[in-house]
Amino acid sequence: MPDQNPSQPGRRDFLRSAALMAGAATLPARAAAEPAADAPVAPVGYLSFSPDEAALVEAMVDVMCPADELTPRGVDCGLAHFIDRQLAGAYGKGERLYLRGPFRPGRPEDGYQLPLTPEQFFKAGAQAADAACLRRHQRRFAELTPEEGDPMLQAVADGREDAAGFPLAEWFNELVYPLFVQACFADPIYGGNRDKVFWKMLGYPGLPAVNGLNMVKYRGKPFPGARQPKSIEDFS
Amino acid sequence: MKVLPEKSVVIVGGGLAAGLVARQLAQQGVETLVLERGGDYRHGPEGRIPTQRDELRWDVRHGLMQDAAGETYTQRRARTELARPMRRLNAFLPGTGVGGAGNHWGGQTFRWNDYNLVLRSRYEQRYGRGAIPADMPLQDWGVTYDELEPYHDLFEKLFGIAGKAGNLRGRLQPGGNPFEAPRQNEYPQRPLEITEAGLIFQQTVEREFGYHPYPSPAANSPDAYVNPDGMTLGACQYCGHCERFICEANAKGTPDVLLYPWLERQPRFTLRRHCHVLGLEHDRASGRVRGVRYLDLLSGQEYLQPGGAVVLAAFTMTNTKLLLTGGIGRPYDPATGAGVVGRNFCYQANSGIALFFPGRWLNPFLAAGCTGTLIDEFNDDNFDHSGLGFLGGGYIGVNVASGRPISVRRTPPGTPRWGTRWKQANADWYAHTCAIGAQGSCYPHRENYLDLDPDYTDAFGQPLVRMTFDFRENERRVSAYCTEQSRRIAVAMGATPVGPVVSRAAPFDTRFYQGSHVTGGTIMGADPAASVVSPRLQHWDAENLFVVGASVFPHNSGHNPTGPVGALALRLGDDLARYVARPGRLS
Repeated sequence: MPDQNPSQPGRRDFLRSAALMAGAATLPARAAAEPAADAPVAPVGYLSFSPDEAALVEAMVDVMCPADELTPRGVDCGLAHFIDRQLAGAYGKGERLYLRGPFRPGRPEDGYQLPLTPEQFFKAGAQAADAACLRRHQRRFAELTPEEGDPMLQAVADGREDAAGFPLAEWFNELVYPLFVQACFADPIYGGNRDKVFWKMLGYPGLPAVNGLNMVKYRGKPFPGARQPKSIEDFS
Repeated sequence: MKVLPEKSVVIVGGGLAAGLVARQLAQQGVETLVLERGGDYRHGPEGRIPTQRDELRWDVRHGLMQDAAGETYTQRRARTELARPMRRLNAFLPGTGVGGAGNHWGGQTFRWNDYNLVLRSRYEQRYGRGAIPADMPLQDWGVTYDELEPYHDLFEKLFGIAGKAGNLRGRLQPGGNPFEAPRQNEYPQRPLEITEAGLIFQQTVEREFGYHPYPSPAANSPDAYVNPDGMTLGACQYCGHCERFICEANAKGTPDVLLYPWLERQPRFTLRRHCHVLGLEHDRASGRVRGVRYLDLLSGQEYLQPGGAVVLAAFTMTNTKLLLTGGIGRPYDPATGAGVVGRNFCYQANSGIALFFPGRWLNPFLAAGCTGTLIDEFNDDNFDHSGLGFLGGGYIGVNVASGRPISVRRTPPGTPRWGTRWKQANADWYAHTCAIGAQGSCYPHRENYLDLDPDYTDAFGQPLVRMTFDFRENERRVSAYCTEQSRRIAVAMGATPVGPVVSRAAPFDTRFYQGSHVTGGTIMGADPAASVVSPRLQHWDAENLFVVGASVFPHNSGHNPTGPVGALALRLGDDLARYVARPGRLS
């Protein structure tokens, strides 16, 4: 993957000094690979996904969010559940999406032009992605190792994976990838970002965000609320 | 279709412009009806904690905006192309409901530099008659800043605008914008607190370049405030959920807080919610509109509402649509340049550059909609354009409006899009980045215009508005120039890395938000052959029809449009009171 910057020495120095300065306020908790003991109970079962689709999505979010020092693996962060719930709900059924004809193929900058709801588009793409995997690896995506899955997703994202006319790159970049990002960073009430793990990773304090005094007090300083973010559930 | 009893003034759309027109009419006891297609947000989950702080629902999924499933717009870049509908509305975000887009706005409230109202004259005087390209139909607005100044002043008081004057009755004021038009009065409220990123910007441009940074004028209330109508604002909590949200602290100057609750207490004012206007009834022989046809969305009943005067105060695109479907005024024809309805459709040429500040805690979540620190050195015609090859410019500055984590995370160029290194880059940089942005002007181009799409319809079976628009050469050059100034400042600020550096370019890309400031289509002017409405906003072909909003702007500048919209709407309210007393052509 293209990544020229992460080991710049200057940045590493900064991170060390930032950790000292902040008492590691915004740095990730160590050993986050297991969900915290007080994490909300994970929902069981999927509303939209078939078993094959669930296997594909679970494998995909685990490739995109591997277990490491920053977060548990994607499935344990609730990412697959988030995507399932979004596709099963109003968004997946086409809320706020203009679905009247005539339908005309467009250029990328025209945006989405297909006569499918996001849920329908997702399912068609899941089949196309697995078909592409079968052609290349003789296995479905869920059966690939992470070392195989990651470059496969990269090839899909870059438009290098032929899918017999299906717009696989558009499917990944404009449907799947935004859902993945939303699953990570939306309020945990939607099923992803379980235990606010991604907010902790960032140092995003969440709610209540009543900062009339904090605005001046913490201007240019580490924000203490970033250690223990609060979400909608904490105020419900 | 039921015919209702006539009202003195009928206003289409219940947003900011409509509320201001109605406020002036109510002050003078004129009977007024506002028709709004949406409902109220005042007591819903939109404005209560914890549901207010839901980025996915209100921001990413556009919970407060116009529902594109029912009504969107089609777009193409040239009139030789077949248009496509914007099946999701992303590039700009019209509102719906009482208060309109004025509820989910960020609150930047500028007075434009005074020469904007006489822009063609200004450029011709300064650079010669040949300086304006033939395909750029700039024109003077037919109104001067001096006429609008008292209305700007009133709008700022009604909305409790926070800021620092730069030019008080001709005397430049330290800390304000020295390029602003002369003001009679200081802003009614002190500026918002500055952000850490704003401090870095402010110190850098003062020290390194001698520029004059100023706090973004804001409809975010730094303190509790009571306006001249006795309506109150709370104090801003810098929550980072402002633009695209309803303020739970009532600290944002919005029509649903400041205008409509007051209006509904006035005896001769009526607001009808859930009323979708279908069209105008035009009587060509008498040169008048009889009234408006609307559908009551709660009963399914269609009504004709007669009006002594009718005001179009809907979103930019809708004002044009109602004139075109009503057959009022000659549609603009780009092939000949003749006709007026739909012409001078403009947008803005905005750009932003991500800045990374190792070791500095920028805390992007400590922010309001308008916590911005700006300069106007490169805006509009504040600098010499000789030899530059373009006209216009933009403000440049650091607007920190939110740290909402789905949308506002910047990682250095080259960061992978997922995986451990992606997560690590997010963790490393989230609190330490900001963006420097330019809000570039957009001048009219002969080939940028609105008309009715021949193929696509809305949920009511009516044609969608079609925008034929692209960023033409002038706007691409404006953006390249302003983006280069931003980059230069960014380097001086000590950001590392800086980037990517990308200016606004063609083709217009519908997938990305580029600001909701679409203007034109029903423009004002002194020449009936080149404008839809007179300098008094009175339709040239229908004496009792008036149009207000950014749709009357002949061009878009490098400032947000709400200040001039507010001033024009208040002035129209006073003009309408005169018109109702003595109908006729207003001069």
